[in-house]
Amino acid sequence: MEFLCFQAAGQYLGIEARYVHRVVDDGEITPVPLQSSCYMGLMYSRGDLFDVIHVGDLLGQQQAVQNENPRIILLKWAGKKLALVPDKIIGMISIKKYDKTQSVYHYADYTIQVIMPDDILKKVSEIFNGS
Amino acid sequence: MGRTSIKNKLILSYLGLLLGVVVVVGVVNRMTNDFFLAQAISTALALFIAIVFGSIFSRSFVKRLKSLSDVAREVSRGDFSRDIPLVSRDEVRDLEEVFAMMVNQLMGMVSDMKVVSLQIQENNKGLNEVVKKVLSNSHDIDRSTKSIASSSQEQTVILQKTSLRLDNGLKEMDEMVRQSADTVSKINEARHKTEMGEINARETLNHLEEVLKQMVEYTQPIYRLANKVDKIKMVIQVIDEIAQKTDLLSLNASIEATRAGEQGKGFALVANEIRSMAENSKHSSQKIEKIVVGILEDNREVLESLSKSQEGINKGRQIINGIVDTFGEMLFGVKEISNEVREMEQVTSKQVGEISGLLTHFQELSGLAHDNFLATKKTSVATKDQKEDMKKLVDNMRSLNMLSAKMIKTQQHFRLRDK
Repeated sequence: MEFLCFQAAGQYLGIEARYVHRVVDDGEITPVPLQSSCYMGLMYSRGDLFDVIHVGDLLGQQQAVQNENPRIILLKWAGKKLALVPDKIIGMISIKKYDKTQSVYHYADYTIQVIMPDDILKKVSEIFNGS
Repeated sequence: MGRTSIKNKLILSYLGLLLGVVVVVGVVNRMTNDFFLAQAISTALALFIAIVFGSIFSRSFVKRLKSLSDVAREVSRGDFSRDIPLVSRDEVRDLEEVFAMMVNQLMGMVSDMKVVSLQIQENNKGLNEVVKKVLSNSHDIDRSTKSIASSSQEQTVILQKTSLRLDNGLKEMDEMVRQSADTVSKINEARHKTEMGEINARETLNHLEEVLKQMVEYTQPIYRLANKVDKIKMVIQVIDEIAQKTDLLSLNASIEATRAGEQGKGFALVANEIRSMAENSKHSSQKIEKIVVGILEDNREVLESLSKSQEGINKGRQIINGIVDTFGEMLFGVKEISNEVREMEQVTSKQVGEISGLLTHFQELSGLAHDNFLATKKTSVATKDQKEDMKKLVDNMRSLNMLSAKMIKTQQHFRLRDK
């Protein structure tokens, strides 16, 4: 199983490749007022509008890494769209023995936690709803 | 009444006596015829008449002479009050008149003597007062003379001291003139050295300008190197951007290849390789960038050193310019000082001349004061002599006074007629 691996809040995270639409580095983020600090704004890319989420901030990172031209991971799945801003993109990795019940894998020197886009969206919704 | 001399009187008296005798003889002869009797009677009568006549005649003379003798006696006693009776006009009257004249003259002399004595006394009084005043004035003159002598002595001492101080001042001023001359000589030397210093500073400045010019020339390649290295850095940045884009592109290609499934595996391999190449390019460009940054750092340090050297040279130039200006100001100041010292020297020389003249005048003044002192001493001695003379004069006046008093006392013995 192929995963896009990236780093955020000091952790290595992996997201399944089929959710990844593409990775851009020239996205223009339009800030939205009165939102949580992890919500960076909206981004328009090739006809689609993405909610941009800072992953480190979402995971409770105290001091979020702010890149000047961050690489943004665009996710599209089941008609949902989400853009993730990681601290650093590691690359594509292939996990041979993938098990859906297991979320943590070891790859090379990394310990990677596999995350699902719905979980991210759910967490963002919880933050928005104040729960 | 005309003048009749005693001789004539005697002749006339004898003729009258003879006539009387003749008459008597005639009468007797008429009365008697006795010749002898007549002769005796005539002789007796003639003798009687002669005796009477002689007695009367002599008495008239003796009486006048006795009167004159009495008057002379009174005159000898100092009594001039008695008048001499003038009876007849004969030789005795001449004597009486001469005697009266003598008495009158004596009276006049005594009166004059009295008047003179009184005048002497009056004059003596006035003279006494004058002498007292003269004595008092002599005392005053003596005191004043002593005071003048003392002042003259003090003046002489002060003048001598002043002369001595002036002489010392003159010596010091001579020393000052000599020192001024030395100072002028040293100032000229300092001016020469300052001029040399200015020339040397200007030469140093020229050398420094030359060094600076050469340094600017040497710096140009370094600046060019820095520009070229900057360009290399820009190229490296472009390479880095390309590498990043390639990396991103290969990442997206890998994602696409993964999404393609089994068909995309080959493409995924290529994409991975491309990404690996991009990573290598990125690493290489980062290494080059590090090297370039190192070169730039070194270059910057070199430029900083050059800049510091240039700043140092500029500062040195400014300092040397300042030194040149300072030397110029020093030269100006030294010239001004030289002129002022020369003026001062001239003024001091003039002052020395004037003080020499002043010293001469003071010495003359000192001599005059000394002469004054001596003259005052002489005046003092003369005043003492005058005082002594005045005392003698007073003694003489006292004697004269006593004599005049005696004279008045003597004159009081004479009794004068009331006029």
